[in-house]
Amino acid sequence: MGRVALRGIRAHLVRFILSVLAVTLGVAFVAGTFSLRTMMSSTFSGIVDSSMTGDAYVRGSELSAASDVGDTRNLIPASLAPTLADIDGVDLALPEISGAIVLVGSDGTAVTSTQAPSFGTALDPDDPSVTVVAGRLPRSADEIALESETLASSGLAVGDLTQVVLGGEVRDVTVVADVSMGAPMAGATIVFLDVPTATAVFAADGQVPMISVYAAPGVSETSLVDRLAPVLSAGSAEAVSGDYMRDQARTDIESMLGFVQTFMLVFAGISLFVGAFIISNTFSMSVRQRMREFALLRAVGASPSQVFASILIQAAVVGLLGSALGIAAGLGLVSLLRIAFEQMGMDLSGSIPLSAGTVVISLVIGTVVSIVAAALPARRAALTAPVEAMRDDVATTDKSLRVRAIAGTVIVAAGAAALLAALVRPETDGATMLGLGAGGLVVGVLVLAPVIARHTLGVLAAVFVAAVRPLGRLARGNVIRNPRRTANTAGALMIGMALVGAASVLAASATASTRAIVEDGWISDFSVQSATQAVPSGAVADVRGLATVGSVDEASYGSAHVSGPGEATTAAESMIVVSLPPEAFGRTVDIDVTDGSLATLADGELAVQKATAEDLGWQVGDQVTLAAEAGSVTAPVGAIIDTQMISAPIIVSDALLAQVIRPADTTVEMLLVTAAPGAGLGALRADLVEVAAPYVVLSVLDAEDFAAELANQVNQILVILYALLGLSIVIAILGIVNTLALSVIERTREIGLMRAVGLGRLQLAGIVTIESVLTAVFGTVVGVVVGVSVAAVMPTVFADSGLTTLVIPWAQLTAMLALAAVVGVLAALWPALRAARLPVLDAVASD
Amino acid sequence: MTTQSTALLAGDTQTDGRSASEPAGRGSVIASARGLVKTYGSGDTAVQALAGIDVDFVRGELTAIMGPSGSGKSTLMHCMAGLDTVTAGTVVIDGEDVGRMNQRQLTRLRRTRLGFIFQAFNLVPTLTAAENITLPLDIARRPVDRTHFDAIVAAVGLAKRLHHRPNELSGGQQQRVACARALVAKPAVIFADEPTGNLDSKSSAELLGFLRRSVDDLGQTVVMVTHDPRAATYAHRVLFLADGLLVGELTNPTQASVLEVLGSLGANDLAADDESGVAATSVGH
Repeated sequence: MGRVALRGIRAHLVRFILSVLAVTLGVAFVAGTFSLRTMMSSTFSGIVDSSMTGDAYVRGSELSAASDVGDTRNLIPASLAPTLADIDGVDLALPEISGAIVLVGSDGTAVTSTQAPSFGTALDPDDPSVTVVAGRLPRSADEIALESETLASSGLAVGDLTQVVLGGEVRDVTVVADVSMGAPMAGATIVFLDVPTATAVFAADGQVPMISVYAAPGVSETSLVDRLAPVLSAGSAEAVSGDYMRDQARTDIESMLGFVQTFMLVFAGISLFVGAFIISNTFSMSVRQRMREFALLRAVGASPSQVFASILIQAAVVGLLGSALGIAAGLGLVSLLRIAFEQMGMDLSGSIPLSAGTVVISLVIGTVVSIVAAALPARRAALTAPVEAMRDDVATTDKSLRVRAIAGTVIVAAGAAALLAALVRPETDGATMLGLGAGGLVVGVLVLAPVIARHTLGVLAAVFVAAVRPLGRLARGNVIRNPRRTANTAGALMIGMALVGAASVLAASATASTRAIVEDGWISDFSVQSATQAVPSGAVADVRGLATVGSVDEASYGSAHVSGPGEATTAAESMIVVSLPPEAFGRTVDIDVTDGSLATLADGELAVQKATAEDLGWQVGDQVTLAAEAGSVTAPVGAIIDTQMISAPIIVSDALLAQVIRPADTTVEMLLVTAAPGAGLGALRADLVEVAAPYVVLSVLDAEDFAAELANQVNQILVILYALLGLSIVIAILGIVNTLALSVIERTREIGLMRAVGLGRLQLAGIVTIESVLTAVFGTVVGVVVGVSVAAVMPTVFADSGLTTLVIPWAQLTAMLALAAVVGVLAALWPALRAARLPVLDAVASD
Repeated sequence: MTTQSTALLAGDTQTDGRSASEPAGRGSVIASARGLVKTYGSGDTAVQALAGIDVDFVRGELTAIMGPSGSGKSTLMHCMAGLDTVTAGTVVIDGEDVGRMNQRQLTRLRRTRLGFIFQAFNLVPTLTAAENITLPLDIARRPVDRTHFDAIVAAVGLAKRLHHRPNELSGGQQQRVACARALVAKPAVIFADEPTGNLDSKSSAELLGFLRRSVDDLGQTVVMVTHDPRAATYAHRVLFLADGLLVGELTNPTQASVLEVLGSLGANDLAADDESGVAATSVGH
């Protein structure tokens, strides 16, 4: 039977090509995701290895909060370093002194790279982790060294004059060295400073997070840690081995990359699911055409399970072949991505990795998806009665759609009920109900699709039937003749379009919601914000000094450990705390208060977001403790607020924040500025822009600009989402091509007949095209209806997260329908050509 | 019944063809072929399906083409109808040279001048009987002549089945729909390829009777390929083919006379097989 199966594939290669392609695309995504992850983790692991070269590390011993991205510990005095260096067996002890910096490149703009950090760090002449490639080390405050890649992407050269924004002020500096850290730094902007300068800016109070310790020759890491321990026992510091620190750093990175991987795999999963439709369809049609062959095999003694197995073998071959090609395509995809990353200034390390694990997982996934997709058609083939072989015309009776109709209706109804529940009681379990409802609706509609196909297509086809006689009618007949097949073909597109539809509704709603939030809560004339999320203190002073400025409110934030009433401080949760001067309320920001009063902030009380208060069960008057490096404050909750303007859970006065968090650890997120009485807004803007210009990274925005900027961020996310969903749409298009091509083969005689009675080639191509367009539009219409229904519930459920307004982007949805028509035409090109080229005689000659 | 003329001149096809092509007094020639050769494949594997045929089909006649399997009767019909290209020779239908036509012109020819009835799979399964009948006119965007349509439908006895789909019709009914479709556009010639091949004798008789009436009453021209001697008796004239050559002709045939010719053809066929066997051997050498 194996031989029969393989010969079957060889004889009908074309039939399987698109199935193979579908598997290839899905698996390419899977393999690409895995290799990308491996490549990124080897890059970051390389960074860890080359930047964390210490044999031991001394750090704070009090773990104040643990999180996914690393622990927060107490700081230790930098002055510990000389003491450590004196210990026998210690070669070198270097405190880690680093912080945010903005480097101005040769083009006068800030050197930035997508998502990668920009930091300045003290470079000790003895530091063994770096090598000077050219020039000499910086010796004074007006000299800097740049990491090799940073130097390349900044366009600067050793000896050039430039500027940095450091410690809140703009400084003129000279680039004196090109320094290599021994590995690609994934686009991070790294500026080396001399130790006194870095210390003055980043560790003014003499406190540092960590000290790297290097062992003298012959001293092992563990023995080094043992020698350090006695010195540290008194203070709140501890020593750990270099290997331990590096392992921990890698683990932190892995967990972050794991999240990215999961995100990508979701889309790979969607693509494979869509691909499964194509495979299933291909095998259904192939089985349908080969009924007599199976009947013959059965007649000569093959058991149903042998016939079943022969189909599954074919599916496995398709899956294996597709997966193998997919792995190759995945590697190609990653190479392209790496080139793209390099263009954006993010160098990733070495060759593209292909681990045995990736290969095995990709092969298994591709093969299993194919086999599962082919199982149902295989079952039908296995159940062919031997007597079918004797029949002249194989009657393929379609099973009634009643079971599907009932099951589909039940699932859709359940899904709709869940959505309704989410709408009615969004507070309690809205998100769960929304998830269940979305799942139910998609699955239910997929099940129900063949049932609704006939009627929906009938309506959709009316235009064509009326406009293009008799082609429209013939095309309509073809698409509703086998509603299962049409529904399956459209199903693949439906899933993609449902996601795109939902995403576009969400994006439109999110944009409108942020706009509403900004328009609602924003009463300052301008805001000054930084691309690095931190407004330099020098800029704050400069803005305050402007004559046209009436008032300036600083919105700062920092991280503190927060414990509610009766909670032990050890159970504290790390939260972002935002500070505003109490006068800001009503002057530059307008915040809805649900309980209490914002006036209490001036008395040192806290304002808590409604959602946070509900989660933690806090009420006005409850005592809440905030703790961080600078100290600990216990204060009552003075107001419960409901605002999307400020996304932090807790808002305090600027005075209170200063008692808890060191000024060095707080960040000025933005300045809210109002005009002085009599000063024009135009003049104020001009002044602000002039003041901001030297700081390179600052921008001056009014409410409209700010809303536009937020909308722009939403759109950027949307573009990525569309690109990822695009793949599933491409696969869905392949599905339509596949179905059409196979149905053209299946209808060879019918086509020949019509050609014989005078149907022209163009007319025939027209029929195929109309079928294609109808299928694509059907899938899109159903998909968009499902996607929009689900997305329409979201604003109610996620009102707390800032999604307050529901906007249905009709223009975009209409564009999607137009796109579907284009997709239909494109998908029809090849099958239509194929149909038109069928020789009339082949089609009509009965023998 | 007596056989008016039994020409069985296997030796001299040239003269035989000529004699067969002479009008039988029922109107002018509507379709003709001269020196028609059709070869499939090339080199050693070449098969000559038609070895040089001259034939005329006369307006207002039902002509049957008979011959053993592989004699080239279907190929002749396909070539005549422009469904297949010819290797050599000319085909003229209603004054137009089919051999010189491009695909577009051939499509036009089929639309306007020709009607087809096949052995099986004659109807588009998604269309109703009525839609199938008017399909050629719809495709050509020509208006349907209602009186003509009604007359044809009445003649084939399908008035009550017009809104059924093919799978709701019996085999005989399906073939009658196919006949009606072939007639509705008033084509110059209807080509029927084994139209009764899949039918029982009663349905066959009905269908053939109807075809004959369309010729006698409506002046239609029909060329029918068949291997059924009974079917051939409905024809005005029967042409016999063997090994790609026209080997005989009967006018006003009876079952007996047809069988007689077929019988002698069979003998001749054996001889021809021997010859071709020799020929093949010599080619092989």
